[in-house]
Amino acid sequence: MNTLIPPANALNLTSFKTWMGDDGICRTVTKELAEINLEQAMENSVAVSSLYKDRKFPLLIDARNIKYMSKEARKFFSTNGRDIKITCFGIMVKSPLSRVIGNFFMGLNKPEIPARLFDSEADALQWLKQYR
Amino acid sequence: MPFKAGNISPDNQERINKILEVIIAYAGLDFTKKTEVKGSDDDVLDAIGAGVNMLGEELQTSTISLKEKEHLLKEIHHRVKNNLQIVSSLLNLQSESIKDPALLNLVTASRNRIHSIALVHEMLYASVDLTNIEMGDYIKKLSNNIRNSLSIPGSDVQFEFEINPCFLDIDRMVPVGLILNEIITNSFKYAFPNGKGIISIGIHSLHGRYILLIKDNGVGVPAGFELEKNSNLGLQLIKILTEQINGELNINFENGFSYSITFN
Repeated sequence: MNTLIPPANALNLTSFKTWMGDDGICRTVTKELAEINLEQAMENSVAVSSLYKDRKFPLLIDARNIKYMSKEARKFFSTNGRDIKITCFGIMVKSPLSRVIGNFFMGLNKPEIPARLFDSEADALQWLKQYR
Repeated sequence: MPFKAGNISPDNQERINKILEVIIAYAGLDFTKKTEVKGSDDDVLDAIGAGVNMLGEELQTSTISLKEKEHLLKEIHHRVKNNLQIVSSLLNLQSESIKDPALLNLVTASRNRIHSIALVHEMLYASVDLTNIEMGDYIKKLSNNIRNSLSIPGSDVQFEFEINPCFLDIDRMVPVGLILNEIITNSFKYAFPNGKGIISIGIHSLHGRYILLIKDNGVGVPAGFELEKNSNLGLQLIKILTEQINGELNINFENGFSYSITFN
C-alpha cells in the first residue's frame, strides 16, 4: 500500500520513520505490518519531541500499514496528561484494518488536542496547516 | 451490497466462527482469547477481528477495575462488621460487672442493637452481589442471637417462621433488622412471664410491597392499656425506623402482641 515516503534523514525507529517536513508539519509513518506497543509508542513520542525547536507543530501520522496497536499504546498516544510538543495530529487510514484501529483509538481515547482521521494526504495537510 | 451467507467461502466461514468464539469468550469474561489478524489489505474480517481484540482489551481493564471495587466493598463490610463486633464484645464485658438490673437491661439492649447491624454487614460480606441480603436467613440468625442473649435458664421460647424468599438492600435491611430486634426483644422481656411461648415471624410480598408480621402468643396487656402512654424507647424506635423505610405500622394487642409493617 502507498504510504508517505520518508526522506533519507528520517529518524528510523523500531516501528516508525519520523521526520520534520519543510512545511513545518511533522510526519511519522508506521512500518509495514507494524505492531505498536507502549515501548514503541514512547520511542516515537521521544523522536517527535526531539524535532521541537521553538514552537509546537502539527503531526501527520500515516497508519495505513498498521497491524496492531496495544491498549497501553492507544492510551499513551491520546496525549492526555503528557507534556507534548504537537498542536494537533491527523491520522491517515486506508485499509479496513487501519480504519478500525483509527476509529477505535479516536472513539475511546478522546485526545486532548485536535485530532482527526483522514483518507487522503492532501486533506490531512490542509487541515493540519491551520495548527502550525 | 449485503454480505450474504452464500458469498462466504469455507475459509472465511471458519474465520467468522473463530471470531464468534472469541466474542463468546469475552461475554463469559474470559479475555485470554484473541482473534488472528493477518494484516492484509482490504480484508474486512481482519478489521473485524482487530476490533474484537481491542474491545476485549478495553473490557478486560473495566472488569479488573470492577473486581477491585468489589473486593474493596467486601473489605469495608468485613471491617465494619469486625468493628461493630468489637463494640458489642466490649459491652458484653462491661455487662459482667454490672449489678443493677435496669442498667444491665440497657447495656444488653444496646449490644443486641449493635449486633443486628453487624449481622447485616456480615451477611453482605458473604453475599454474592454485596448488595442484597436474603431476609429469611437474616431473620433466623437474628432471632437465635436474641434468644441466646435474653433467655433465662429453663425457659422455652420457640420461633415459627413463614418467610417467602425475598432480598433487601442495606438501606432497608438495617432499619428492618433493628425493628425486628426491638419487637422480638419486647416479646422476650414482657410476653412470657413463665418463660414459655411462641414468636411467629412472617414476611410476604404483595403488589410490590413487603409485609412483615411479628406475633407472640404471650400475656398481652392488662385491661385499659394505652399504647401511647406506655411507649418505651423500643416502641419509639420501631415507629421512627418504620417511617425511615416509608412503611406503615399496625400494632394489635388483643391476643398477645402482633405487629404488621408494610413497606416498599
